[in-house]
Amino acid sequence: MGSDSRQKTDHRRGAANRAKSPLNAQARSYLDHHRKVARDSARRLWRTPVASLMTWAVMGVALALPLALLLLLNSLQGVSAGWESSARITAYLAMDVSLEQARAAAEEVDTDGRVFSVQLVERDQALAEFRASSGLSDALDFLDENPLPHTLLITPQDSARSAEGVRALVAFVEGMDGIDRVQVDLGWLQRLNAMTDILARAVWALALLLGGAVILVIGNTVRLAIENRRDEILVAKLVGGTDAFVRRPFLYTGAWFGLGGGVVAWLLIQMSLWWLNGPIERLAGLYRSEFALQGPGFDGAMALIIIAMLLGWLGAWLAVKRHLDDIEPGDIAGG
Amino acid sequence: MIEFRQVTKRYDSDHTALRQVNFHLDRGELAFLTGHSGAGKSTLLKLIMVMERPTAGEVVVGGQQLNSLPKRQIPYIRRHIGVVFQNHQLLFDRSVYDNVAMPLEVMGASPNDIGRRVRAALDKVGLLSKEKMNPMQLSGGEQQRVGIARAVVNKPPVLLADEPTGNLDPALSADIMKLFTEFSQVGVTVLIATHDIALINEMGRRQLTLDHGRLVTSSSAAATGGVRG
Repeated sequence: MGSDSRQKTDHRRGAANRAKSPLNAQARSYLDHHRKVARDSARRLWRTPVASLMTWAVMGVALALPLALLLLLNSLQGVSAGWESSARITAYLAMDVSLEQARAAAEEVDTDGRVFSVQLVERDQALAEFRASSGLSDALDFLDENPLPHTLLITPQDSARSAEGVRALVAFVEGMDGIDRVQVDLGWLQRLNAMTDILARAVWALALLLGGAVILVIGNTVRLAIENRRDEILVAKLVGGTDAFVRRPFLYTGAWFGLGGGVVAWLLIQMSLWWLNGPIERLAGLYRSEFALQGPGFDGAMALIIIAMLLGWLGAWLAVKRHLDDIEPGDIAGG
Repeated sequence: MIEFRQVTKRYDSDHTALRQVNFHLDRGELAFLTGHSGAGKSTLLKLIMVMERPTAGEVVVGGQQLNSLPKRQIPYIRRHIGVVFQNHQLLFDRSVYDNVAMPLEVMGASPNDIGRRVRAALDKVGLLSKEKMNPMQLSGGEQQRVGIARAVVNKPPVLLADEPTGNLDPALSADIMKLFTEFSQVGVTVLIATHDIALINEMGRRQLTLDHGRLVTSSSAAATGGVRG
């Protein structure tokens, strides 16, 4: 009786195992197969090192070029952000504001936490300076009264030296009594920004074009690989390999090409940085700028390699899509 | 297991490879497909493999109507059909073992399973000791046996052979035919396209003879093979 029931449970457990294991086994053999195909594709690339290196080099150059421009652009934007912070705010007081009121306004601005320093330029002093620097003293003599207002020159605190910080400070000063007009001289900065915008678009267009070129290069390389492995594809199709099965090794090949290309591009970038950094530091020093070329960093390098692999995969996919259908086993069964 | 109903295959307007072919092969039956060059033997095999589709009529393999089979499904049909070629279509960039393992790999069999079944198939054709060799190192007869091992490794219910003894001497051909007979005895439907009249006569099996695309003999009395119908 006891042994009978044990047998029953054994049997049930066996059935459960059997029901579960095929799925498990299938998943495992699927992953095994992927690993095997990936390893095999990589080994094939190693077996023709010169050809693979050439492809990697082509990909590397094509990827390094837009990446280098992007990095340059990033550095430039960093510069303009830096210079934005050094902006000084000029506030012109209304003409009917007296000197006492102007001093009070300067004190009020100075108490604001965001303000590093305030300098009050009195109207008489301003006129004297203008007279001295412009050479228009004769013309100025004809004027009945001083046309210049009192002026506050405001330098923001470091912490407020962002575009938003400056804008907020400008709004605050504009809101005060007796302030006629507030000016931040950012014109040249806006021009620089406009230029970097144009440059950014050009760089992205270039990146798209070169990305397309990478896809084509990989597509062509994979097309040759497909030709080389024609017999294998035929046999795989004959014995019932699905399209996905036949495609897989070539997709891995494309991804490995991408990996190599990404690494080459990263090396090229690092080498260029190392080569350019000295002269650029010297030049920036002459301009008293903190400009420095920034490398891609770890995240950037990872993104570069992942994008390169995706491009390789995509190129391979296009080639496979186009050429695998041409290889049908119809023609091996002769006569 | 294999059934042709009024099958016609026309390649273009002036070339008709098969005309209204009718026949039926049972499970475990072994039959020869004969005829002159260009009589339509290869076309008939290709229709079974779904490498071609009939212009008219129906091809049924293992109860599955192949005419309306979506392209996606073709690989799954081929997994049930083993094929042996005259030029054996072996891959010389891998070992005998890996060649034979291909049909199992495309099915996603586990490595253990593959090992067991590949060795069983190689044992069956007498080449177990050569599993690690490259097919290029083998003789013609041995290569053909590797091709057979690959065709039967996943135990397909249907086995097709296209001139399997074309390049072999009579003794080797007899060996190969003995293998095919053994497969048919365990229930595999075997269809062998061949020119080798001597061999056919010796075997005394059913014979399908094609003449300009028409099936002229479909008898089990094989000896003469000249009955026109």
